[in-house]
Amino acid sequence: MEQIIQQLKEQLIEALNLEEIKPEDIDPDAPLFGDGLGLDSIDALEIILILEKNYGIRLENTAEAKPHFYSVRTLAQYIVSQQDK
Amino acid sequence: MKTHCYIERYATSDMLPTDIKALIPDATLRRRMSRFVRTGVATAMCCLDADSESGEAIDAIITATGFGCLTDSEKFLRNVIEQHEELLNPTPFIQSTFNTIGAQIALLRGYDCYNVTYAHRGLSFESALLDAAMQLDEGTARRILVGAADEQTPSQHRIMERMGCWRKHRDGEGAAFLLLQATPTREPSPCIEEIDFPETRLDDDTIRRRYAVEQILRCDTPQSECYPTAVARILTQAVAPAAGKQIRIAVCNNYMEAQPSVIVVSC
Repeated sequence: MEQIIQQLKEQLIEALNLEEIKPEDIDPDAPLFGDGLGLDSIDALEIILILEKNYGIRLENTAEAKPHFYSVRTLAQYIVSQQDK
Repeated sequence: MKTHCYIERYATSDMLPTDIKALIPDATLRRRMSRFVRTGVATAMCCLDADSESGEAIDAIITATGFGCLTDSEKFLRNVIEQHEELLNPTPFIQSTFNTIGAQIALLRGYDCYNVTYAHRGLSFESALLDAAMQLDEGTARRILVGAADEQTPSQHRIMERMGCWRKHRDGEGAAFLLLQATPTREPSPCIEEIDFPETRLDDDTIRRRYAVEQILRCDTPQSECYPTAVARILTQAVAPAAGKQIRIAVCNNYMEAQPSVIVVSC
């Protein structure tokens, strides 16, 4: 789990061009949208691409997937749950 | 076209500080910008920030670019090829449009005024300037931000090299913005008096006679940086504070020998 969290942080920094942020600056439990990292809807699309390109996870229902996008940890848990299937 | 556009202020990409955070404080907007968009927007902000004392809003944002956002366009197209037209990243696509700089200026400042971008190759800036001049002359606007930006990327440089463009010209890139007004706020104010498109490239003697100018600045010399909107930066050189008497200057463009233009400025 910790390895996926670290990997996700690096992928987020690269894909979203968070140039002033280092992986250790990202709290895995902090919200990704609004507060915390302050991401928006365009970033959400970029995260969907990260899941699809790097983990082979295709979101069929984005509304249902919303809770998984709360933080880096919830995203990592979602990745692990999908890989176990 | 004869006109009376007073140049209140100007800024060029050469005047930008190394750290542009103060000019583009919104981190989300900033992180999505390519180097080109950052340079263009920061130059516009530099021009507007110098004007913050007056507190007056602007009535139009008119931008010009010959090539547009090449870095983002290349990134998007590469993405299309590599991903077989699937799973395309939204950011390079959104940022690759020609009007990105004009739009980002509006977003940063909250301006919902007239906002148009001209992409007319070597005459992009002149087209933007004509639009501004007509609006100021007709009274539909009193203060207009006009500017231009173009970038150079390694692939574009290579393609133009293969076309033989760099045998006669020097490559380059840059941005320049001017705040134009219908009436001057101080005397003397540099003034754009004419924008003309002669059919052929005119020699210096003809330019001096036809436009009654004392000085000529050319964008098409082998020493000048050559990019579609380089004329905007040369125009700011013409109006850079110069001691002495008032003179008339002709700024001549003829990008890639395609279409000459002459902008007459008194300053």
